[in-house]
Amino acid sequence: MSETSITASKLRVRFGRHTALNGVDFSAQAGQLTAIVGPNGSGKTTLLRALTGDVAHSGKVWINGRETASLRPVELARLRAVLPQSGSVAFPFTVLELVRLGLTAGLATACPQAQATLPQAALARVGLAGFESRLVQDLSGGERQRVHLARVLVQIWEPVLEGAPRWLFLDEPVSALDIGHQLIVMQLAHDYAQAGGGVVAVMHDLNLTAMFADHVTLLGAGQVRASGAPQEVLTDRDLSACYGCALRTNTPPPFGGTWILPQATGQSPSQSAGLSLGQGSLS
Amino acid sequence: MALASIAPPFPSARQSGDRRARARVVRIGLIVALGLSMVLGLGGGAASDTDVWGGLLTKFGLATASARDVTIIWDIRMPRVMTAALVGAALAVAGAVMQGLFRNPLADPGLVGVSAGAGLGAVAAIVLGGLLPLAVQVASGAYLVPFSAFLGGWASTLVLYRIATRGGRTSVATMLLAGIALGALTGAITGIIVYKADDSQLRDLTFWGMGSVAGATWAKLWAAAPLILASLFVAPFLARALDALALGEAVASHMGIDTQMMKRVAILSVAGSVGACVAITGGIGFVGIVVPHLLRLVQGPEHRNLLPNAALLGAVVLLLADMVSRVVVAPAELPIGIVTAILGGPVFMWILLKNRSLSDV
Repeated sequence: MSETSITASKLRVRFGRHTALNGVDFSAQAGQLTAIVGPNGSGKTTLLRALTGDVAHSGKVWINGRETASLRPVELARLRAVLPQSGSVAFPFTVLELVRLGLTAGLATACPQAQATLPQAALARVGLAGFESRLVQDLSGGERQRVHLARVLVQIWEPVLEGAPRWLFLDEPVSALDIGHQLIVMQLAHDYAQAGGGVVAVMHDLNLTAMFADHVTLLGAGQVRASGAPQEVLTDRDLSACYGCALRTNTPPPFGGTWILPQATGQSPSQSAGLSLGQGSLS
Repeated sequence: MALASIAPPFPSARQSGDRRARARVVRIGLIVALGLSMVLGLGGGAASDTDVWGGLLTKFGLATASARDVTIIWDIRMPRVMTAALVGAALAVAGAVMQGLFRNPLADPGLVGVSAGAGLGAVAAIVLGGLLPLAVQVASGAYLVPFSAFLGGWASTLVLYRIATRGGRTSVATMLLAGIALGALTGAITGIIVYKADDSQLRDLTFWGMGSVAGATWAKLWAAAPLILASLFVAPFLARALDALALGEAVASHMGIDTQMMKRVAILSVAGSVGACVAITGGIGFVGIVVPHLLRLVQGPEHRNLLPNAALLGAVVLLLADMVSRVVVAPAELPIGIVTAILGGPVFMWILLKNRSLSDV
């Protein structure tokens, strides 16, 4: 196992009689933003939760070459931080108090003196400077999501510590954000990876994925349908089959980026979905 | 809620620090209040003719008060005051810990099943104690009821813990639900025993249920103090974990908290200290809920400040309640559990009415 990667082999997760993940192999490299995409119920979040050890699973997960099951919570917390999809806070914490909780595991930076100022720096990074004394419960959904992102950032502030990359796991980090903050947060994740850390993000927005991801894993029905560089994975055929609707990938010359556009088929969404799902079984 | 309306729309970055500063001020105030209420408690009411300072200092050879005064201060009032302070601190801290653990500001130390089990133990000792061999009765003397209450409290907590733990993980929600079931069961058994009780036993049962520090002695206090002090000592080490737990168990574990270990320590220390409290004073309600609640309103929910201040305020509250209980129907005494319920019930309702959002979080 590489010392700078997250690797998982043969992950299998069952919820009762339903198999949510069916023998998934996964890997993500430090220095890259790895996106996990796929339709609702394809197992994206379950894969992330299996990687972070939040759901009972068979198969093994390694982080920087060490099996996660053999690490204590505090050791894991110094290697990786996890941003959940949504979270409730049981008591009326202020924004600053909540972000400070990110320092619980210690070792956010190599320099202990810098720790005290990290929460403020992280809040500024997610566009929430000046929110320190607001109560978290009074914030909007998007603001709350960014407060939690700041808390997660504080936990592993330096992307590389003592030569080992650290990992950000983000579950739909931009789902509640407006377009401006979507870009800020994606850029932040991208920068974290550029600085030598690793980022694994569950993404719904294919265009943001195309714009920022270095590596994409496409899931469908609990299995990996495709995995590789964005231009290899985000293809008309695979996307349309996986998502059950007609999707067209465009690469307009002036920008060179990739856009994914849905194609109107003249049918109602349900008909269209039903039709495409019928064709959509990839093998 | 109140704190939100205090916070300006674009506040300075200092308010969170202000809460910590406020917690320090509160702590100093509470330490002073604790000292005052202990002295007042030793005074035994305004009409007392006992020389408090003389009685206190004579013990160290620094004054010459009458032997009667020394006895009253050191053998009657001192254990009583110490018991009230210690039990108040323990109940308030146990409440704060349980609320953090169950992620609910309305949780009560009794949730771990300790009260129900202790109640059953006490009732069994009062009613069925006479069935024990005479030698055991004589040997156990006044300790039979507290000891049996303590055993009952611990036993029911251990049962709950076993039920809620599967595959090395303790489900707090299962524990809560199992606690309701176990409470009903122990309640029913208690009912059966009470049904069998005679009139004088019924009287004992009723007074035990109301809670009282009137019967406090040094011997009882020494028996209970180690468990209570142990839980007070452990609590600060749980502070960071309880803060993290406010975001949920999974998030806390991502932040490096060994949640399973933390739950075990919290549950067992609370069961131990509340069991010891119930054993020596009977059932005293509301301290565990109202004290942490009031402090959160004033200084925020960070446990590193909440836990020590809860210990201080809990001690002050129970000392004052004990004074009220001695004064209002003097020369008789009201059981202290009645006083805390009369004061705590309306305060609690007022908090709920004023902060409806609290019960929604």
